[in-house]
Amino acid sequence: MEIDANLIKGLTIAFGAIGPAIGVGLIGASAVRSVGRNPEAQGKVLSTAFIMAGLVDAVLAFVLVIVFTTS
Amino acid sequence: MRLFNFAAEGGVPLAAEPIINLGGFGFTNAMFYGLIMAAVVLTLFTFAARRSTVKPHNKLAFAIESLVEMVIQLGEDNFGSRKKALKHLPLLLTLFTFILFSNLSGLIPGVGSISITNDGHVSPLLRPFTTDLNATLGMAILTIGTVQFWALRELGLRRHLKHYFSVVEPWWNPMNAFIGLIEVMGEFIRIITLSMRLFGVIYAGEVLLHVIADLGGNFGPIATFPVYLMEIFFSGIQAYLFMMLTMVYMANATHSDDHDEHDEGVTTDPVKVTG
Repeated sequence: MEIDANLIKGLTIAFGAIGPAIGVGLIGASAVRSVGRNPEAQGKVLSTAFIMAGLVDAVLAFVLVIVFTTS
Repeated sequence: MRLFNFAAEGGVPLAAEPIINLGGFGFTNAMFYGLIMAAVVLTLFTFAARRSTVKPHNKLAFAIESLVEMVIQLGEDNFGSRKKALKHLPLLLTLFTFILFSNLSGLIPGVGSISITNDGHVSPLLRPFTTDLNATLGMAILTIGTVQFWALRELGLRRHLKHYFSVVEPWWNPMNAFIGLIEVMGEFIRIITLSMRLFGVIYAGEVLLHVIADLGGNFGPIATFPVYLMEIFFSGIQAYLFMMLTMVYMANATHSDDHDEHDEGVTTDPVKVTG
C-alpha cells in the first residue's frame, strides 16, 4: 500500500496542534479566571500568561518547521 | 493536486544563502538585513535620545521613552531593585528592540521579492535576521554567557557553584553531584530552547505566509491577511519572551541566598519560569 507523504504531513500538523491548543486554552482559562478573581493583578497575570502562551506556541512552531523543511 | 503541495518550490530554504563571497566566507542575506536593522534601531534610538526633553514635545521620543520605562519597570519587578534593573537595562532593551525589529522586518511587503544572483544561484537579497538559526543561536549564547559573567562577577565562583551543586542539605549529600550535573546541563538546554523557540516561530511564520499565499491562488493577498496579523502578534510576543527569559535567568543567577542586602527597598522574589 502506498501512503502519500502529504497525508503524513497533514497528520503531523493535526496531531502536533492538539497539545499546544489544549495548553493555550488552559492558560487562557486560568488567566481569565484569576483576573476575574483579582482584577488589580491584571497586568502581572496577563504578562505571565503571555510568557506561558509563547512557551507553549513554540511546540507548534517546531512541528511546522519539521513539516515544512522535510520533503 | 496543488492544494496539498505544502512546501512550495519557491519557499524559504532552511539555511540563509550567501549573497557575496568574502574570501571563502559567505556573507549571507540574513546578516545583511540584520546589519540594516541594527542601523535602523541605532538611528531611531539616537534620534529619540537627542529629542528627549523633560516636557515631551516629540511623539516618537516620548513613545521610545515609554518603552524604556516599561522595560525598567519589568526589571524592577524581577530584580527587586531599580539599581539592578538599570544595570542590566542595556542588554535587555537591545535584545527586545533588535529582535522585535528583525521579526517585523520580514513582514514589510516586497522584502522577499528583491533577488540577487551569486555564483549562478538566485537568492533573495533580504532575509529577516531571526529566521536564521545561526543568528538566534548566537544571541542565545551571548545571553547565557552574559548571565554567567554577571553571576560570577556578583556572587563569586564559590557561591555561583553553590547554586548548582548545593541544592539538597547538607552540602556533602552525594545527591548534590547528580542534581548539579543536571542543572549544568540545563544551562546548555537553555541555549538550545532560547534559540530554537525564536527561530522556530519566526521561520515557521515566514513559511506559513508562503504556503498560504500559494494555497490562496488569486486570493493570496486576502488569504494572507489574517496570517499577517498573527505574525505581528507573534513577533511582539517572541521579542518580549526572549527579553523576559533573559531577565528571569539573570535575576535567578545573580540572586544571592544570604539575606544581608535589604537596604535597597522592598525585595521581591524573582518570578520562577523554566523552559
